[in-house]
Amino acid sequence: MFQMNNWLNKIGWATGLVLLQVLILNNIHIGGFATPFLYIYFILKLNSDTPRNQQMFWAFGIGLVIDIFENTPGINAAAFVLLAFARPTILRLFTPRDTYDSYVPSKKVMGNLPFMRYLIVCVFIHHIALLTLESFSFISFSLLLLRIFLSAVLTIICILAIEWFRK
Amino acid sequence: MRNLLNFLIKYNYWLLFLGLEALSFILLFHYNSYQESYFFNSSNAVTGKIYEVSGGISSYFHLKSVNRDLLDRNMELETKISNLEKALKEHQVDSLDILSLERLPRTSFFLFKANVINNSLNLTDNFITIDKGYSAGIRPDMGVVDANGVVGIVYETSPYYSVVISLLNSRSNISCKIVGSNYFGTLRWDHSDPQHALLENLPRHAQFNLGDTIVTSGYSSVFPEGIMVGTVDDMGDSGNGLSYLLKVKLATDFGRISDVRVIARRGYREQKTLENKCIVPNE
Repeated sequence: MFQMNNWLNKIGWATGLVLLQVLILNNIHIGGFATPFLYIYFILKLNSDTPRNQQMFWAFGIGLVIDIFENTPGINAAAFVLLAFARPTILRLFTPRDTYDSYVPSKKVMGNLPFMRYLIVCVFIHHIALLTLESFSFISFSLLLLRIFLSAVLTIICILAIEWFRK
Repeated sequence: MRNLLNFLIKYNYWLLFLGLEALSFILLFHYNSYQESYFFNSSNAVTGKIYEVSGGISSYFHLKSVNRDLLDRNMELETKISNLEKALKEHQVDSLDILSLERLPRTSFFLFKANVINNSLNLTDNFITIDKGYSAGIRPDMGVVDANGVVGIVYETSPYYSVVISLLNSRSNISCKIVGSNYFGTLRWDHSDPQHALLENLPRHAQFNLGDTIVTSGYSSVFPEGIMVGTVDDMGDSGNGLSYLLKVKLATDFGRISDVRVIARRGYREQKTLENKCIVPNE
């Protein structure tokens, strides 16, 4: 029921995550800084043998829809496409040698530590790109770093919570 | 040639990646330089509709505080009226005079009611979407206020929705003054904190105290004079030392705005075209 294996399921997940992001999560600013960007969960959980081009099209589409809602054309799309582009490489880097060719990244398949590494690297790539593009200057550099760090921590917590819930 | 083709086929995802990123950046820069692209902001119909539904739901959560604000405002107006009545009686004004007061030309400002259906606080450039557009008479560059104070300026309109540049936006600058002194400065936001903004370019010889009230100056052709903006929270010097830089605690709580008024002014286009005509292009 919660799988992401055919087109209909994927579209359902994408719609759900976009609505969750624009209607609820974008209104969360803990301490004025931290906002979870949970929509990247979609790309993180795509099957490992999904063609790279297909991943990037998904990322561009979802990013653009979120941009349209947030009045920030291009920013989410650019950061999300970057993540989708980098993901297969990161996945190859952190996967133990003896896993199957085709799998959905998770704790169970990859092992605890490799999965956490994969998650943290992916979330930081996306958040650094997104929040840097959004402020588009390094004037308040420490503020930007703080926002990236706090938001990333929050996103990771949210993703782990979903993972735990789906187990 | 064959090698080149093989290379392109093997690394086609690089081309796609660069293409999609280029498209994103074109959108990013295009949007910032032209106002015409309102297709991509939330005044477009589908996103507007979704935000309207969610705004309708979330406005219930604010009913209590909205109600409290209205009661406060009501009380303020009632005391004002009773004071005015008292003053009138003291001066023993002839009833004919009161009648002639009522026959004064209609005020040059008029108001539209609107509801906030989308709002953000934590971006560098925050926008607010409201549920009235140009079919209701709203035009770009009109001022937006709520019961507590200034909210922002209309940026873009579609038939049924408008996008407002909130005070919490690096592009917003509003001419303000300190009550009682008439020295004026420009209100800007330094994207740190949704409750504070900075008042720049206030002359060094201006006199004021912490806690003084800041209101709109009426020079900007958008807001009438004397609309509440906030209070002086802290003071400092500007970078070049020629003027004061005041930290202003905003009267509007951007975290829970829901009912707003859009202010239209008779003749503001006339003033605008006249002023634009006088700007001599330099360089």
